[in-house]
Amino acid sequence: MGMLRVMSRRGDDRIVWDSNKVETNDPEAVAAIREAERIFNEERKRGATAFRVESGKTVERIDSFDRTAEQIVIVPRVVGG
Amino acid sequence: MLETLSLFLGIWLLFLLLAIYYLSQSPDGSVGRLRESVSEHLSAESRAKALLREMLSENQYQQLIKFGYLEVTSPSIENRIYRIPGAGGLVKVYERGCAVMELCLQPAEPLPDGDVVVMHKLMIEGNEQEYLQKANHFAPGIISLRCQHL
Repeated sequence: MGMLRVMSRRGDDRIVWDSNKVETNDPEAVAAIREAERIFNEERKRGATAFRVESGKTVERIDSFDRTAEQIVIVPRVVGG
Repeated sequence: MLETLSLFLGIWLLFLLLAIYYLSQSPDGSVGRLRESVSEHLSAESRAKALLREMLSENQYQQLIKFGYLEVTSPSIENRIYRIPGAGGLVKVYERGCAVMELCLQPAEPLPDGDVVVMHKLMIEGNEQEYLQKANHFAPGIISLRCQHL
C-alpha cells in the first residue's frame, strides 16, 4: 500500500493506493495513484516540499512522485519567521 | 420600581433567547459557523496528533509529552541537536550541549501544532541545508516570544 499525506490547516489529507492492484491495472487503484500524482505536482508547484517516509529508513526529500513509496508526506511552503 | 426592573430584565432575556434560537436554527448562522469551526479545529488537532504518533518513535513521543519538546539529531553536522518545541516557538540548536542559536521557520499556511513538529522533524532530517537557509537565525535567548503564523 502507498499513501500520500498532505498537511493543511485541517490536519493531513490522505490518499491511499494499492501498489499491487496498480500493477494489475485495477481501475480504482490506477485512479487513486493518478489523483495522488496530480495532487503531488500541484502542491510542489505551490512551493511545498515532499518527503518519502518509510519505516526503518532515513527520511528523504523527493522532487518527483514516487509510486513505489510506502508513504509520502507533503509539507506546505515554509518561510523564515 | 423593582417590578419595572424585573419586567425589563424579563423582556431582555426573552429577546436574548429568541436571538440565540434563530441563530442556531439558521444553517449559515453565526452559531452554526462557530460550531463548525470548533468541530474542524478539534478534528484537525486529532489528525495532527495521530500523524505525530506515527512519525515519532515511542521515546520521541514520550520526550515531547514529558518535556514539551522533541530533539532531532542533525544528519550532517556532528554533535548538533535541534530542539523543536511542541507548542510553537523557536527551534533551539545545541552543539555539544551548548545553545548556539535559535531558528524561526513557519509554514506559510497555519497548521495544527502537532503537524508543525512533524514539519520541522522532516525538514531537518530530509532537507537540512534548505531548512537552515530558509530559517531566520537568532542568537540564543534573544527572542522568547512565540512566532505567529503568517
